[in-house]
Amino acid sequence: MKLWLTGFSMKYPRLVLLLVLAVTVVFGWQFPKVKFDNDPENMLDAHEAVRVFHHQVKEKFSLYDFVIVGVSNEQDADGIFNVGTLDRIDRLTKQLLSLHRTADGAVAVRNPDGSDRILDLTPESGWQRGLNVAFQHDPNRLFTADGKSALIGRELISPSVVDNLKQAAFGSLKLEYLMEHPPTTRAEALQIRDDAMGNPLYKGTLVAEDGKAICLYLPIRDKTFSYNVANLVRALTADWPNSDQVHITGLPVAEDTFGVEMLVQMATSAPLAMLAIFLLLWIFFRRVRIIIAPLMVAMVSVIWAMGLLIGLGYDVHIMSSMIAIFLMPIAVADSVHMLSEFYDTYHLYGDKRGTMRKVVGHLFMPMLYTSLTTIAGFASLATTPIPPVQIFGLHVAFGVAVAWLLTMTLVPAYSMVFISEKSLQKLQLQRDAGKPSGLNRLLEGFGRFSYTRWKLILGVTMVVMVISVVGISRIQVNDNPVKWFTADHEIRKADAVLNRHFGGTYTAYLTLEPGVETAPTAADLQQALVEAAPHQLPEQWRDEIKTFSADLNDLPAVPDIAAFVEEARALAKSYDQRLLGDWRALADNIVYLDPAGLDLKTLARRLSALPAGQAALGRQLLDRLQGTGAVGDALIDAALAIIDQRQGRGFVALVDQQYAALTAPLFKRPAMLRWVEKLQQALAQDPVVGKSSSAVDALKKASYELQYRVDRSAAENQKRFAVPDTVSAVAQVFTQLEGMKKKDTLFHLVTRDYQEANLWVQLKSGDNKYMEQVVRDVDAFFVANPPPFPVKHAWAGLTYLNVVWQDKMVRGMLWSLGSSFVVVLLMMVVLFRSPLFGILAMLPLTVTIAFIYGLIGLVGKDYDMPVAVLSAMTLGLSVDFAIHFLERARQLQRELGSWQAAATEMFKEPAVAISRNALTISIGFTPLLVAPLVPYRTVGFFLATIMAVSWLATLFLLPALLTLFRRKAFGETAEQSLEEKG
Amino acid sequence: MKRYGILFLLLLWPALALAAPSADEIVARANKAAYYAGKDGQADVKMTIYDAHGGTRQREFSILRLNVAGEDQKFYVYFKKPSDVRKMAFLVWKHVGGDDDRWLWLPALNLKKRIAPGDKRTSFVGSDFFYEDVSGRGLEEDVHQLVKETDDQWLIKNTPKDPDSVEFSWYQVWIDKATSLPVKAEYFDKEGKLYRRVSAEKIETIQGHPTVVEAVAEDLLAGTRTVNRFSKVKYDIGLKERLFTERFLRRPPREVTR
Repeated sequence: MKLWLTGFSMKYPRLVLLLVLAVTVVFGWQFPKVKFDNDPENMLDAHEAVRVFHHQVKEKFSLYDFVIVGVSNEQDADGIFNVGTLDRIDRLTKQLLSLHRTADGAVAVRNPDGSDRILDLTPESGWQRGLNVAFQHDPNRLFTADGKSALIGRELISPSVVDNLKQAAFGSLKLEYLMEHPPTTRAEALQIRDDAMGNPLYKGTLVAEDGKAICLYLPIRDKTFSYNVANLVRALTADWPNSDQVHITGLPVAEDTFGVEMLVQMATSAPLAMLAIFLLLWIFFRRVRIIIAPLMVAMVSVIWAMGLLIGLGYDVHIMSSMIAIFLMPIAVADSVHMLSEFYDTYHLYGDKRGTMRKVVGHLFMPMLYTSLTTIAGFASLATTPIPPVQIFGLHVAFGVAVAWLLTMTLVPAYSMVFISEKSLQKLQLQRDAGKPSGLNRLLEGFGRFSYTRWKLILGVTMVVMVISVVGISRIQVNDNPVKWFTADHEIRKADAVLNRHFGGTYTAYLTLEPGVETAPTAADLQQALVEAAPHQLPEQWRDEIKTFSADLNDLPAVPDIAAFVEEARALAKSYDQRLLGDWRALADNIVYLDPAGLDLKTLARRLSALPAGQAALGRQLLDRLQGTGAVGDALIDAALAIIDQRQGRGFVALVDQQYAALTAPLFKRPAMLRWVEKLQQALAQDPVVGKSSSAVDALKKASYELQYRVDRSAAENQKRFAVPDTVSAVAQVFTQLEGMKKKDTLFHLVTRDYQEANLWVQLKSGDNKYMEQVVRDVDAFFVANPPPFPVKHAWAGLTYLNVVWQDKMVRGMLWSLGSSFVVVLLMMVVLFRSPLFGILAMLPLTVTIAFIYGLIGLVGKDYDMPVAVLSAMTLGLSVDFAIHFLERARQLQRELGSWQAAATEMFKEPAVAISRNALTISIGFTPLLVAPLVPYRTVGFFLATIMAVSWLATLFLLPALLTLFRRKAFGETAEQSLEEKG
Repeated sequence: MKRYGILFLLLLWPALALAAPSADEIVARANKAAYYAGKDGQADVKMTIYDAHGGTRQREFSILRLNVAGEDQKFYVYFKKPSDVRKMAFLVWKHVGGDDDRWLWLPALNLKKRIAPGDKRTSFVGSDFFYEDVSGRGLEEDVHQLVKETDDQWLIKNTPKDPDSVEFSWYQVWIDKATSLPVKAEYFDKEGKLYRRVSAEKIETIQGHPTVVEAVAEDLLAGTRTVNRFSKVKYDIGLKERLFTERFLRRPPREVTR
């Protein structure tokens, strides 16, 4: 039964080879259909609540993903605010705005003179170009299918196209762009600086507070444009002087660049791994013909696995791009093991068919089980809630299964057809001639040591475990896509520079919306009116206020506030008519007077002609005007000013104001806006937050500029830099902001109905732990400072999304680690038909995993995506050595009758096979160590370490434990044990 | 016979040429019809601003207009709704060939503020109309060219003399021959793409003046749209120039409060 597959393959080797070739062609056929997806957002399912919410927020507030272009100048005394740099920034802005496709499909921007500048962003290096073709990356893709520019011009943020409110001549207010024209003098350049610094929305966002840098925010239609847009900016700024440094960053660029470089990585790492494995096998076996078999197994299983993935219609994502590099070293492991034994034992049989039967005979079970455990380890990733990880896990599992099948069939078939008995005999002769290899001697030394010093080994293991547990307790869960690049990468450098100058380039959106609030009732309005009247109406109307309050009570009962306010307004009108009617009529008559030839005398005549009530008031007015000497317009103004003092605000105004206060949308209510202001102040104190922006900032700035008066002191003017006091005042200032030069920019911060607000929070770092910190701080603020009205808050933005999928990843991985541990343990118990051996098999890997994670905790490496992915598969991989070791140990103990004798034998061929296996896998992953992308390095380093540690743990710990438990494990008697000791 | 025919044509030619007005004449006539009807005028406007997602905002205001010396005009805009901006007012003195004077009154802040001359192509109270659409664009700012003539319309292409002062590279206006009213204006960006449209949806004749009573402005890039519906349109009501002064910002004239 065990030998059926192998037997069949040796009987019909050519048929097997042909079959494998045919299937490989079918899977290889799928490759041209490949689609790439390098969006980390897809780590979350498209229907994931937070992702759906993120897109709702983007839609609601018209938010886009930004490519952030920073320009810094540390050489000029005025920093960035010098004529030359500002001119270049203006030119760049206009070029970007003019991005278009020419009639023949070329990328073009417009020069200042109106002519087209054609750009070709195709990289110069042929290698890069080749990769672009292979990965279907068009470097000139800067337009949507219908020819729209990748940039959303009207939403671009640059000094040349953002609104600015400022004071102009005669106390007037000027509305223009911050940099309406590029400056021609130093004074003009510095004026732009001062204007920018005076606007809380721009300071720390658009311009650095130190004046040395400016950030342009380029909104892109889709994140997948970001890499090309970054290249476009590089091309357009290539001729800039060295003093102006251009830095391009932002999560979309980082993520998209990662995607592009990941493909490059994939194209280089996989062949390199192949090469490394080839070289290593060559050192082991010295015959190309022999080592072709394992390499074929590796290649074919990668083709099948990737072909399946592509054929099933999955995109190649960051995770699945690693399939090849994971699969190759694992896939060769079994065949290396098999060939290793095959060549080492050939001399015993002198016949390849017989040798193969023998080798497969005793390797069948351990190979099946090592494959099964590896499959279980990868397949357990399917239990994580992260689609790309699930797909990765399942396809690697499939590839491992294929590798096992090929080892059982392809390798024997290949040996039958391509390796002659003669060459094997020659190999044997060489072998006999040579001395025992260094590896053999080393391993035999290991064997003696682990058998005699088992107590020391167990002691050391305990110590390692304790230290590891300490390390594990220090593990910090954190990730940051920008840190996926090495520290010397352009993106990392840009990120560092910009986050030093600015409030931060990592964006999160904190949205606020009304919570459950009981709709205001007629009774609420009545109560508000009764309470507010004595404060807001003149003192001398004390009695009227009392009767008004009483009259309100007597109004016919109506169901809702809208009906009640009409009644109240009618009532108030009658009071106003009685108290103010004559004043108002008088004022209206005066305002219409013809100023020509108007003096006190003619005024008196006109007033006396009015109805009695007004005439009486007119006489009071005339008394006050005596002696002013004013005539014409001045006289009218003087008269109106006196009436203003008398007239007061009236009852209708009171009703309107209270009604507005009760029914106004949440973000027109002064109390709510001031609370947001307080929240922003708290955020500003948060060391992690660089800056936050909200509609309140815009409101305060506009309120200040509108109310600014030259004849007021700076301090008095500064008092107007605040949220106005009433709903109407807020609404009227907001209305001005709605009608700016750049329409609707306000609505990035508040919805058009003013019911929901969006705080743009900029973080100094994209580290998830900082984002999590801000989330906690805001929650704490809500508890300590309950908002004046019920408010619900939620987070969106790429920085926040990363936190969410990280969290899912960590939990998912923990679960998959736990479940695969249990599954593998059960497998071991079944395989060895012994709970003791089952547990023994799990021990080396337990030590390995503990050691690796302890190490991560101790050296302060963040537990990030690649580390998380490693955890589950470590298990499946590192149990392999233990399986082989225990299986052979049991066989040998049975054959030789004592564990001591078996232990010596164990460190000959079996240990060599295990060691070759460990080396192959470790070496196979080493090309990753030189990768330019950090996650690949991490994976390479840790996998190599895992192999090394579990190899050591197997070779030292298992013999030591077997020695300790030999009675239980092998049923050896006390005498046997004594005998050995003696 | 043929010869006579040619002779007939030759005789008639100068007459035909005279009958076809030049582009400048057409736009002058259209400008007159659209912005200068009567000595003065007044209307209530119901403005609906549609956002890209179908949400709407409503504003209601009254406009007073007075033709003064030369081509100059004065406008008074008084807000009635929404209730939180009630009594807010704008005053504009339009000076043809020069900068306009503009004042703003915010009653809730008891604030009168002069607005410095600047870009007239900025959104009017957050709508898709520009200030310039409300008060008219100076004819002298563009070069006008008659592109096409149909049985009932002229198509005029307008190219700015100072291209840097505006966001469009050119715009074209269809002018209705019967009423002389511009019925559609389309604005093109520097790449020659249409991005903005203003059109007259409904025209009624009031006191003998063909009047646009429903106008639409569309921002094709942002996907937003604003509809202005005019009612209670009246001409030659005898408005006094005195109403168009700062004094009447604080105390709105009876013409708009009634």
